[in-house]
Amino acid sequence: MSEANVNTGEKKPRVIIGFVCERSIPITEMIDAQKALVDDPETKIVILPCSGMVKPTQMELALTKGADATFVCGCAIGDCHYRTGNIMIRERLEGERNPKLRKATDKRRVGMFFYTMKDRRTFLDALAQFKAAVSDIQ
Amino acid sequence: MYKKFLQLTKNLTVSLEKGVNFLTTHEHNPLYFHGALPLYTFWFLIFSGIMLWMYYIPTLERAWSSVNYITSLPVFLKDAAGHLVLDKNGAPIVDAVNSATGIPYGAVVRGIHRWGAAAMMITTLLHMFRVYFTDRHRSWRWLPWISGVFLLLFVLFVGITGYLLVWDARAYRMVVETQDWLRAMPLIGNWSAEFLVGGTGINDYTLTRFFFFHIGGATLLFVLVWVHFIRLHDPVVTPSRATNFLTLGFILVAAGALPAINITEQLIQQFPSLASDRAYIGSDSPAQIGVLVETMRYDAWYLFPYYLINKAGVGGAWAILGASTLLLMVAPFYPKDRRDNLAAVIEAKCTGCTFCSLDCPFEAITMQERAPGSKFKLIAVVQEARCSECGVCVGACPFQAIELPNTHSKTIEAEVLDLLKTGA
Repeated sequence: MSEANVNTGEKKPRVIIGFVCERSIPITEMIDAQKALVDDPETKIVILPCSGMVKPTQMELALTKGADATFVCGCAIGDCHYRTGNIMIRERLEGERNPKLRKATDKRRVGMFFYTMKDRRTFLDALAQFKAAVSDIQ
Repeated sequence: MYKKFLQLTKNLTVSLEKGVNFLTTHEHNPLYFHGALPLYTFWFLIFSGIMLWMYYIPTLERAWSSVNYITSLPVFLKDAAGHLVLDKNGAPIVDAVNSATGIPYGAVVRGIHRWGAAAMMITTLLHMFRVYFTDRHRSWRWLPWISGVFLLLFVLFVGITGYLLVWDARAYRMVVETQDWLRAMPLIGNWSAEFLVGGTGINDYTLTRFFFFHIGGATLLFVLVWVHFIRLHDPVVTPSRATNFLTLGFILVAAGALPAINITEQLIQQFPSLASDRAYIGSDSPAQIGVLVETMRYDAWYLFPYYLINKAGVGGAWAILGASTLLLMVAPFYPKDRRDNLAAVIEAKCTGCTFCSLDCPFEAITMQERAPGSKFKLIAVVQEARCSECGVCVGACPFQAIELPNTHSKTIEAEVLDLLKTGA
């Protein structure tokens, strides 16, 4: 899980669902009308008020309904606009806080990123690494 | 216009923090611990203050000399020509007759108290500006902000009373100017001026009163901190270890390099640069009632009200300080946000599991007892005035029993399915 190792596999995942906090990366400037990332059309985005609003079951829904991977992107740790939303979702995905991901969920396909509105490029790089790692999963 | 200004300040703040991240790494960036730093520096003040308290005597006759006893630097013997008298090893000899013996490292402990106070005001202002610049002071956050304004005023009050306790010439002038400032108030002006010193004039009880103001004010800071935290879930009270050491290093190095001392005529003869107004870290010679010193060493962090009194007059100081406080007080109430997405509990689904209540960042959800005979004992109740519409409670609920009406879970799930269809 999390920001995975760099992988050089050429096979790319088909579709990624990202749950992105509207106050973290400048997401509204980064998507097209179909809510796909302009720099990566395979990644579709659901925008939320805070990353802490994401339910693990919603990420599981994305995976069970056909997404190759899913991720959440919140504000930088220590800088959540709503104080603790990013910490809450991180702890839920790491299994330290309820509600958690089900044990059967392939956690390698679940990513999490925490960046500020100035980290557009850094986020895209981390996402590319995550996708490369996911594409290598058999 | 104002919102655009706040957006601009937020952009600049985030850029600054990103720059600091390069130096400190993200985990140890002090700017991410801006709220914990004032509390951390406060501990230095408490412990150094307790050490100073053991030797401080709050009377007109002995206050200055007790502080001087704690902090005096050794006075060295000089010959008739003014040169230091050296022993056989070449070291200067301490003047055992004229030199107060002092407490070992007393000047450093007082320096920690003094520089810790500066650090506390600096970090408090950093916290305030960071919160304001990132637009985290408005609407449902009004209580932390307003209590923060009171905290700022009390930190200032405690700092100023600390300057009075030394009872040097500067302290006497500060008392006279404070009384002038208080007398300018209508109706209660004269009473306030007399209350300050405990009588119609400075008397034996005055310093005891200042001592109470200083310690009592510092104690009251804890009560205000409690109010400050009351609507915050799990407030950050401990900076990162690296930030702790950085702050500790700043205070210790400053206290060691520039210890707080009483600047006497004897010391000025020994170190002429201490006569400069810039040596504001030191205190003056003992107060003499009725004798006002012409110049005053201003400490930028705590004594700016006296600078204002001297530059703008008593009325000007009232106007500037009053207007500034008023602006800070109204800041959280303007501009008002549209609040149409408050969390709502679906009673039929709520099991009373408390997850939402435990996770709410602003303590906006309380658990209340259900009517007798209900299937579940408790039900979550949203305090609407405190709700930030963040949806953290929605993420916490395993039963879909709490929702943001305009960002419903069903809508999000439908959006996920829709995106998967279009992406296939």
